Amino acid sequence: MPVAPSPAVVDRPTTDETIDPDRPWVVLVWNDPINLMSYVTFVLQKLFGYSLEKATELMLDVHHKGRAAVSNGSREKAELDVFRLHEHGLWATMQQDD
Amino acid sequence: MARWQFRPPIERTKQGFRINIDEREREVVRHLLEEMRSLLLGSSDHPALKRVFPAAYHQAQHAEQDAEYQRFMREELVASRLTGIDTVMEALSAKPPLSEGQVLALAQALNGVRLVLGTVLDVGEDDDPDELDPDDPLAAEQELYGFLSWLLEWTVRALSPGLAGSA
Repeated sequence: MPVAPSPAVVDRPTTDETIDPDRPWVVLVWNDPINLMSYVTFVLQKLFGYSLEKATELMLDVHHKGRAAVSNGSREKAELDVFRLHEHGLWATMQQDD
Repeated sequence: MARWQFRPPIERTKQGFRINIDEREREVVRHLLEEMRSLLLGSSDHPALKRVFPAAYHQAQHAEQDAEYQRFMREELVASRLTGIDTVMEALSAKPPLSEGQVLALAQALNGVRLVLGTVLDVGEDDDPDELDPDDPLAAEQELYGFLSWLLEWTVRALSPGLAGSA
């Protein structure tokens, strides 16, 4: 049976082989020696609505493991989240889920 | 006997927020924010701004996407930071109470300057912020960095509900 292309594929014709539009993106926050732990926790609560416990857990992951995934979604959503994190001075990047 | 009550540099009151730092300290913050403004109005490739404008895509195969992000979003980031500085400048001279938005702008702005100073000072993970060497040519920057850390910590405390100091 022929499979109809998903709207996402039709909407975003891309010759770019490095991006698979169906794979979600993950937003990572990286450890850096400058940002205060309290500030990072606060920003994660404010931007993503996490509880103090959840935000603290993510901040500690960043601190001890070097990075933590703080959100995920479409490329557009991930890019907006990265932008908001950059606005707040956090070291955030995005990558596609494996 | 004298009655002395500790006042945090920034506090949440029933009416709103209040900044309790004195005029001399306010001048230091204003001065730093003006320097930040000049830096932001110059080349965004300035090495001191490295941490203010990080990459969005860290993987080599997405270099093209990152270039695109930098092309479109960097200007937005600069604009957002400049607006924030204006808000804080106004707040520093305003009569209390301050709004939550003003204090949020303060937290972001203080953090922005810390990112620049921390980059210039090449702050490392194990650095002891209390260890100041008066002969260090960057001793003044060290001291400002410590001052900003102190002020930001209290600002976050005032903004965070359920934490001591946010009454």
